[in-house]
Amino acid sequence: MINSIKDSVKGTIIGGSHNKILIRQKYDQKVEIGELLVSQEKDKPEKTLLQVYDLIYGSQLSQANLELISGIKLEQVSEEQHLSFIEHELRNYNLVIAKNLIQLDTNTISKSLPCFFSDVRGLKEEDLKFITKPKNPLHVGRLRSGSKIFEYDIYLQGDAVLSEHILISASTGKGKSNLTKCILWSLVEQDFCGVLVLDPHDEYYGRNKLGLKDHPLKNKIIYYSKNPPAGARSLKINISLIKPTHFRGVVNWSDAQYEALVAYYNYYKQDWIKAILLEKTEKEKIEKEKTERFTEKEKLTGMNGYQSSTERYGNQLNQSYGPNGSFQSATIGVIKRRMLSILDLSLNSKSDDIVSKGIFDFHSGESTVHDIAEELENARTVIIDTSNVSSQQEIFIGSLICSELFNKYKQYKTDGSLAEKPQISVVIEEAPRVLGKDVLEKGSNIFDTIAREGRKFKVGLIAITQLPSLIPRQILANMNTKIILGMEMGIERKAIIESASQDLNDDDKNIACLDKGEAIVTSNFVRFATPIKIPLFEELIFKEIQTKVKQYAKDFSGVNLG
Amino acid sequence: MKFSHIADCHIGSWRDPKLREASLDAFLMATAKSKEELVDFILICGDLFNTSLPAIDKLKIVVKKLKELKESDIPVYIIPGSHDFSPSGKTILDVLENAGLVINVVKGRVVENKLSLVFTEDKKTGAKITGLLGKKGMLEKSYYEALDKESLEQEKGFKIFMFHTALTELKPKELEDMDSAPVSLLPKGFDYYAGGHVHIIANHSLEGYTSIVYPGPLFPNNFKEIEELKHGGFYIYEDGNLTHFPIKIYNVVSLCFDCNNKTPQEIRRELLTLLENELEIFKNELNKTIVTIRMFGLIKEGKISDINLDDIFEQMYQKGIYFIMKNTTKLTTTEFEEIKINLEKSNDIEEALIKEHIGKARLNLKIVKAEPEITGQKEETPTTEQERETNEHQEEINEHNEQINTIKQLMTSLDLEKMEGERVVDFEQRIKDNFKKLLQI
Repeated sequence: MINSIKDSVKGTIIGGSHNKILIRQKYDQKVEIGELLVSQEKDKPEKTLLQVYDLIYGSQLSQANLELISGIKLEQVSEEQHLSFIEHELRNYNLVIAKNLIQLDTNTISKSLPCFFSDVRGLKEEDLKFITKPKNPLHVGRLRSGSKIFEYDIYLQGDAVLSEHILISASTGKGKSNLTKCILWSLVEQDFCGVLVLDPHDEYYGRNKLGLKDHPLKNKIIYYSKNPPAGARSLKINISLIKPTHFRGVVNWSDAQYEALVAYYNYYKQDWIKAILLEKTEKEKIEKEKTERFTEKEKLTGMNGYQSSTERYGNQLNQSYGPNGSFQSATIGVIKRRMLSILDLSLNSKSDDIVSKGIFDFHSGESTVHDIAEELENARTVIIDTSNVSSQQEIFIGSLICSELFNKYKQYKTDGSLAEKPQISVVIEEAPRVLGKDVLEKGSNIFDTIAREGRKFKVGLIAITQLPSLIPRQILANMNTKIILGMEMGIERKAIIESASQDLNDDDKNIACLDKGEAIVTSNFVRFATPIKIPLFEELIFKEIQTKVKQYAKDFSGVNLG
Repeated sequence: MKFSHIADCHIGSWRDPKLREASLDAFLMATAKSKEELVDFILICGDLFNTSLPAIDKLKIVVKKLKELKESDIPVYIIPGSHDFSPSGKTILDVLENAGLVINVVKGRVVENKLSLVFTEDKKTGAKITGLLGKKGMLEKSYYEALDKESLEQEKGFKIFMFHTALTELKPKELEDMDSAPVSLLPKGFDYYAGGHVHIIANHSLEGYTSIVYPGPLFPNNFKEIEELKHGGFYIYEDGNLTHFPIKIYNVVSLCFDCNNKTPQEIRRELLTLLENELEIFKNELNKTIVTIRMFGLIKEGKISDINLDDIFEQMYQKGIYFIMKNTTKLTTTEFEEIKINLEKSNDIEEALIKEHIGKARLNLKIVKAEPEITGQKEETPTTEQERETNEHQEEINEHNEQINTIKQLMTSLDLEKMEGERVVDFEQRIKDNFKKLLQI
């Protein structure tokens, strides 16, 4: 519902201070918490934008008189009798408490008080000139004043905002997923960024409902799933791509265990996981593998074939039997059990072979991580459906991809080509799983590395959470843009308010009052904490999907259609 | 049921006279082996020939062999591949099919803009075979997207799907930049997925897809393939068991030689010694031996030509080596600094060239400037001379970048291809409209 802007006076400034301006509300006007008001003196250009953050009652009568009158009304006056104030609208009224936002005439932060006793009115169309569309726009919603919505889209400067991370925070059911969908929809159209979405609820692609798959530029949406629909990709990751560092923040290894991982990796290289899982602890087993490798190479080179590297490999194994003897079998046993669990593998005792049951595989998915990085560099949106994997596996997958991506972008910075690359943003749900205080106390991970250093390398996070208080303050402060939706819990509001880019100390009630889909955007890239209304995703995309691309008769040359 | 699965014969691919016949020989050996193994039929999954209209001399031999197979009651089922398919329809495969020598299984009908493939049933075994051709630049992807998979999946019996496409999930790391399609575009539930196009030997299963098989080429197609694969091969399927049969035409010796910090004389000496040693094993079969030498590193002094590889090669040929090949792309010298462009993608090269030449011609393009910043931010008037200069410099940079962007957009507009089914007039109009929009005219 779009309300028209009424050109009418809503009140008069009667006192207060810079950040606590007291306004007497006009009797027949309605003012809401969060509403934007404009103070302007007649025939003067100065206009100040104010925002209401509290409402209280005011009366010319003393408290004792009010108590007496209410007593009379309650105790002595029957229903038939009528009791009313003389000149009620003059004697009793509402007082509005507002804060100073910006000078609309100069488009600068307001540093002075609006004129004493000046009128305040509602926001008008002509006041909204300060809203512009930046070069790389990221649409977040429409300007909202209280519960009124203006037909003015609010855009953030996408590349800057994404590089300095976004935090989306709200209680359950307040519209986090809807907002994320809207943001992703908006970003698909842009070429300045690629977005990686780890989707634990499989809600963004829209497998069985409206979603990003319905975008007119659907070729820019790449969807990976364990069970992909036609045209989507199977989520398969080759085990040879995994390195010990990818487990950081995913599994809590002891020092000895992690040393074992690194030792195995250094010795066996891409076969290190296989080596651990098959517990190659004895000389015979190593020798067996050596023979197998030799035979394998022989197979490749052919009966008469020859490859000098085979001998080198054999010699290498002869020189040392690897890291096996250096670690206790219990250590290897624990690593093995954890690996089997996290990689969803099982051992076939009969054939001494490893069976892949899920995403991680020894045969397929060799190019998956590379492909994902490539798509992101081509400013596409890559959605990874992790709904069928455990939370630990999801974080591990994310860690693996993000590590590779981050290292790649670091390299771009070194070779001077970073400026030409699009911004990369990683959407992570339930962010405290990887950015929580308790998680980070046990050790750093790639996500907190991105949160701290990502800005320099054009890699950012879009962290979604209902419990921002679990995220350390330093990381919260690094999240430059916060989109705050309704939050009932005071402790969560406090965490957000304390780390916001603008002073939100007076906005506690405002945040608590936010209805579904209503939000406040606080960021270094906006002049003031901007109230917005996020459109309903289904309504937002309805128009666009109605305009269907003209269907051409398809060409099937080469197919015998006779 | 027993059948051969062959792919990527690329008959006629090698131009060097020494290897010109290799792919044809490999084809003859594979068909002979199939006949010897008494297969029921042969599948050739694309790129039987390296071009759609191959040379007559090779064609004659292929036709003769196919005729023999027909007379032996071994049908040959084929699909066109990216090399031997022709959008104009002028491909020798059609001639071979019309002559009854091969059966192209890419048959179907179009129902409501969907492609409904029809099975070709092998009379002897009852196997139901269908598939899709391969086209250059992965253009067959749109066929898969329009494929009516349901009808194929519902069909009962032993089903084979032939394809000539790289599958994203199964691409090996060294081919990660290759265009590919996801496995999910293939119909599910077939008993055998006979693949081609990717020159790898692979047999994998994914959820819903058992036996996705690539037999690799019949003969390696380039230096790298000779170096890595040594020889080609094909698969024979027999009642659920799969065996890979290598086709060995030549012995292959591959050397990877580190030239770092060595003089041309040292390289020459060491290389000759190494060759002597490595070839010892094939001393009685040198006339059937191919040698590949990959040289890398920064040589200590002199020029690369000082190594005089031609002379080394000549010595080897005199000893009776059949063929010797070299790769020196990673070999550098301090004397001559090579101009290196660390760019691997055509887009990067284009951009580098644009940047190099941007200042040489003035573009009178109307470039629409983006509005400044975000909510409420306005450009401030510069106050000092230094600020003014900085602003002017920044404006120049912006203009420079915008011109690059505009050129790139123009190139992208010119790179558009006619959509399937789109009329030429509509296509031209679309290009014009894009240009008008871009140039604001």
